[in-house]
Amino acid sequence: MHKRNKNIISLSVITLLSTILGLLFLSPFYIIIVNAFKTKQELFENTLSFPITYTLDNFKEAFNDLDFGNSLFHSLFITVTSVVILIIFSSMAAWMLERTKSKISNIILMMFLASMIIPFQAVMLPLIRLMGQLNLLNVGGIIFMYLGFGASMSIFLYHGFLKSIPKELDEAAMIDGCNKFQTFWYIIFPLLKPISITVAILNTVWIWNDYLLPSLVINNPTTLTIPLKTFFFFGEYTKQWNLALAGLILDIIPVIIFYSFAQKHIIKSVTDGSIK
Amino acid sequence: MKKKHISFWCFLAPVLIAYILVQLVPLITGIYYSFTNWNGIKSNVTWIGIKNYVTALKDPTFTSSFIFTLKFTILSLIVLNCFGFGLALLVTRKSKFNNFLRTIFFMPNLIGGLILGFIWQFIFIQVFSSIGSAIHQHWLLGWLSDGNTGLAGLVIIMAWQMSGYLMVIYIASLENIPSELTEAAEIDGASALQKIKNITIPLVRPAFTVSIFLTLSNSFKLYDQNLSLTAGGPANSTEMLAMNIYNTAFQFNLMGVAQAKAVIFFLVVGAISLTQVYFSKKGEVEV
Amino acid sequence: MRKIKKLTALACVLALGTGLFTGCGSSSSSDSKNVTVNIFQFKVEAKAALDKAVKAYEADHKNVTINVETVGGGQDYGAALKTKFASGNEPTIYNIGGPQDTLDWKDKLEDLSNQPWVSKAYTGTLDAVKSDGKLYGMPFDLEGYGFIYNKAIFEKAGIDPSSIKSYDDLEKAVQTLDSQKSQLGIDSVFALPGKETWVTGLHLSNAVLAPELKDGVSAFKAKTIDFEYNGALKKLLDLQIKYAYKPDGTNKSINSVDYSTQVEQKFSLGKVAIIQQGNWIYGTVEGVDKNIAKNMGLLPIPVDGVKDGCIPVGVPMYWAVNKDKDAATKKAAEDFLNWLYTSDKGKQMIIHDFDFIPAFKGYDSSSLQPEDPISKEVLRYSNEKNTIPWVFMGYPTGWGQNQLGADIQKYISGDLSWDQLVQNAKDNWAAARK
Repeated sequence: MHKRNKNIISLSVITLLSTILGLLFLSPFYIIIVNAFKTKQELFENTLSFPITYTLDNFKEAFNDLDFGNSLFHSLFITVTSVVILIIFSSMAAWMLERTKSKISNIILMMFLASMIIPFQAVMLPLIRLMGQLNLLNVGGIIFMYLGFGASMSIFLYHGFLKSIPKELDEAAMIDGCNKFQTFWYIIFPLLKPISITVAILNTVWIWNDYLLPSLVINNPTTLTIPLKTFFFFGEYTKQWNLALAGLILDIIPVIIFYSFAQKHIIKSVTDGSIK
Repeated sequence: MKKKHISFWCFLAPVLIAYILVQLVPLITGIYYSFTNWNGIKSNVTWIGIKNYVTALKDPTFTSSFIFTLKFTILSLIVLNCFGFGLALLVTRKSKFNNFLRTIFFMPNLIGGLILGFIWQFIFIQVFSSIGSAIHQHWLLGWLSDGNTGLAGLVIIMAWQMSGYLMVIYIASLENIPSELTEAAEIDGASALQKIKNITIPLVRPAFTVSIFLTLSNSFKLYDQNLSLTAGGPANSTEMLAMNIYNTAFQFNLMGVAQAKAVIFFLVVGAISLTQVYFSKKGEVEV
Repeated sequence: MRKIKKLTALACVLALGTGLFTGCGSSSSSDSKNVTVNIFQFKVEAKAALDKAVKAYEADHKNVTINVETVGGGQDYGAALKTKFASGNEPTIYNIGGPQDTLDWKDKLEDLSNQPWVSKAYTGTLDAVKSDGKLYGMPFDLEGYGFIYNKAIFEKAGIDPSSIKSYDDLEKAVQTLDSQKSQLGIDSVFALPGKETWVTGLHLSNAVLAPELKDGVSAFKAKTIDFEYNGALKKLLDLQIKYAYKPDGTNKSINSVDYSTQVEQKFSLGKVAIIQQGNWIYGTVEGVDKNIAKNMGLLPIPVDGVKDGCIPVGVPMYWAVNKDKDAATKKAAEDFLNWLYTSDKGKQMIIHDFDFIPAFKGYDSSSLQPEDPISKEVLRYSNEKNTIPWVFMGYPTGWGQNQLGADIQKYISGDLSWDQLVQNAKDNWAAARK
């Protein structure tokens, strides 16, 4: 009896806590959504309340200004391609590094770690000059650069996760006659599903929203991404809040959809079953 | 033997090539420029030795932004990881609301750095003052007008944005804990707190290493949110290192000095991060 | 031997032939050659108008393609420009600010001395971009600033704006407004945007440094400043601080007030009576309240000891043409710029789409008058020659905003004495000019 009461109390406390936290986290979104439907004047007069007059004008104007269909396509193309490439190549590299205990692999790992500390502004100019010379200042080039910038974190995540996948699996596969590639693709990679999804989510978010790198690399006005176009709502000193908020909502809807699908698929790892 | 080496390099080739071209070469070029009088435009430069480094170290704004960045990083480290881990624990219990809650806590991370700062600036200045005057809470007015509320503001928006991100990392690790261990512990009569202390935390150690490292490096490098929330003001009291370097380069046009500052920055942060990772990795448990 | 001779002969023929073709190409009018002009500009607020102008020009000049790239998000234009050049994709047309930029970008600036609009430019507008007897920039537009006031509020309080000439007149008017705050429905008389260091460190300081430095070019050459009229600056700041909107009631909170709060939230909603700003705010105010936008007036910033009744008018940015592009491209670029400001179609757009005050003569017809009240005022002061120049164009790089502006923020919050601020200003200027 006593234990059951304790359980009910702790359950209700936790539920209450989750609800309060959830509401707190959502409150800025409330501000964003509520104000996106207001006229500019009302936005400043009544920032907190529900709109007195609902207007869809902001969304219509933002949709047009953003050339939404076109920018959505480019954002999608760049993000999806970059993330897929990152997942494939980073997991390959991380597996090799984790399984090979040698000085070289340690040094390489350290190198990748170290690069996560480099502030982008420090390499910005030399990078752009180099990429210009290699003719990589376009959509293809930016995907290549995302690999270069994103590899470190992804390798780091995979490397940590791989520690919990026993080497016995590799050895079993080798004994059965698989070479390195087969071992990786057919045995190891499927087991990386939870962390791959994690890597996918984390990279998707920062690449989707990235502004600085695309602004330097993608110059052709017909291949701009959503963040690039959203920035035209913020000028030298004017900030068109009503349009920016509407544009922001349009911008994050695809990512929210992606995230809700993705995290349903993080299932418990299969290894405990396979060790048995 | 030879086969092993070839496959090693094959697996690593794509990321290495990208990494070398995109990060290593520009970094080394930048280091070279830090020893010259480059101003960002002209092509022929002259070697001036460590003059830029001396200027950088003597610059009082460099030191003050360093200290501010340090304060911010330590605060962030604690707040963000406690929140992230706490949220992860909350959403890995047996509950049908898990997916829903996970989406909610992660949603703040979906908003990019620059816009996030602008929105929170709007919230801290406009919304806080509306609430503050409505319920007569004095401390809600005038946010972002000094270094302290600026610092608090930055930590708040980072916590809001990054807790979900860290939560995702912790979730992957928590879900990886074999259920037999937790079941065995329950059979042995362990309480929830004991389970957390003796099973969860040790097995989640790798995730801690990763998250602490990410928080450290991201906090130190912070620029976008710093720019849009406070722009370093007022009076440079909330200027972080990345902004100080950027301003030296582009607002004062001292590219060589900026590159020197960037190199110093890189060395310091590198030392701190690598030390942290070294000690953390030592304490990790292998399954 | 023979083979080589034959080859040489062939080579010569080919070379001559190519030469002939090239010669043919350039002797027939360059209009028939397809050119692409890339514009890299800084003003998001002008983007829509510029796109429209480009379309109109391209319709009449079928062989010219113009691409406009605008730097958005409040991103630093100078940084973006440097990066653009570093990338190898150099623009044809870009922006430069004044003497410092002219010096920095010297190798990439085309001499524009022979352009048709040069004779039409108002005196004094071209000096900031001249060097070694050559001219490197074309004025973007003219801008003027001062104390913009809400006419309706002034009327209600019974204040006659034409009676405000000196600092003392201004102070009296402010006190009158302050005493009637609740009847007038205002939170405070002023809104001072402490966050925007360009308003305090560049624009306000200009009012008191212009008498001393005379003009932008001399400012650029000045090795030291006396800061003779710093007392007047202190008075102007103190007045605005005393009667300013303070979010939490403390002076310190003025430093959190930004452009949006000052112009949109306060002025455009009728919550303050006076703001220090310029003709560029019209679009912003109109977006919130059309009535207030149509009923704004401009008062000069009174500086003790200096002739009253003048407002600072200057050129904020210039168009520049990249010297390293080929002749045909440069010609098309120059032609477009000239068309924009001197052709009939272009002039209409400058006034009605860009909402600019042009820096050129030839806009006398009634259909080419600015629509907004502040621009009308600026033009009036300009025509009556009651202007002072924008000397801040010649300040040392970063001195105005990052040093003086930052110090003013410290002064506002009470963390810096005025004497120390003045000393810092002088020391920083001298150090930057070494």
